[in-house]
Amino acid sequence: MALEFDRSILGQVFDETDFPPVEKTDLLRFADALGETNPLYTDEEAAMHGPYGGLVAAPTYVTRLRPKKMTPEHMPRFGKVGFDGGRDVEIFAPVRPGDRLKMVSTIHDIYEKTGRSGSMYFIVLRNEITNQDGQKVAIVDHRIMQR
Amino acid sequence: MKTLYFEEVEEGDELPPIDLLLTKDFVRTYAKTAGMDFPRFTDDEGARQEGLPGMIAPGVLSMGLLARLIGEWNQAAQITRIGTTFRSPVLPDCHIHLLGFVTQKDAEQHTAECDIWMENDDGERWVIGTATVLLPTRNS
Repeated sequence: MALEFDRSILGQVFDETDFPPVEKTDLLRFADALGETNPLYTDEEAAMHGPYGGLVAAPTYVTRLRPKKMTPEHMPRFGKVGFDGGRDVEIFAPVRPGDRLKMVSTIHDIYEKTGRSGSMYFIVLRNEITNQDGQKVAIVDHRIMQR
Repeated sequence: MKTLYFEEVEEGDELPPIDLLLTKDFVRTYAKTAGMDFPRFTDDEGARQEGLPGMIAPGVLSMGLLARLIGEWNQAAQITRIGTTFRSPVLPDCHIHLLGFVTQKDAEQHTAECDIWMENDDGERWVIGTATVLLPTRNS
């Protein structure tokens, strides 16, 4: 039997967040917190001579951007407990110091999987991030698992 | 740090593993830096009150470490996609191993696909994932 929910919620924008300009120190602290050694993310001087011509964010920096409203008001519930099931990140452009990022959040998908331990339900929240030039920076899909 | 060109990368190549002791301090620092300063990621007692066995590492920290694995293999590999599944809570104060290998190359796009994962000393894969990387070519 197909999973029953109001399909009109798919694709509806539930949050739009404008972030303050990205600070260089924030990028450096984030890279340091991961133990990054790649000079493109850790060494401004070395990064000047790299492919981006300057310091850029470590690839998963975009996962630290949080919408004002973490979940939609009418978030469907299919189980008693929810888990962080995973993330899928597509990266289109680097994040640089001074960037003013904007994030638009939607419910992208809802689906069910049946395994040995029974049914699991997945809600995929999609965060699309653009910069001050309107350039697409990244799409971050957050898979929330309910059972 | 080294640069590997598309021509030098082969399907089946292993990414040099990263072995590290994931300490509670490391997890707390990440959580605070990433704006995830919640009890489940910073404090054993707070995590227990949420029904967890103790503080856990945020899934996105595991993902960040797997992205670092790719960068340490090849500084010039530009990650264009990375996907991870959090299969089990990652409890700190344990040794973790970050591993991966190249599964496929695309000669038209100059990309490579990698399988990547985090496992514990018993070989249990707590986090699994895949990534697509764009590689420089000798001719460009």
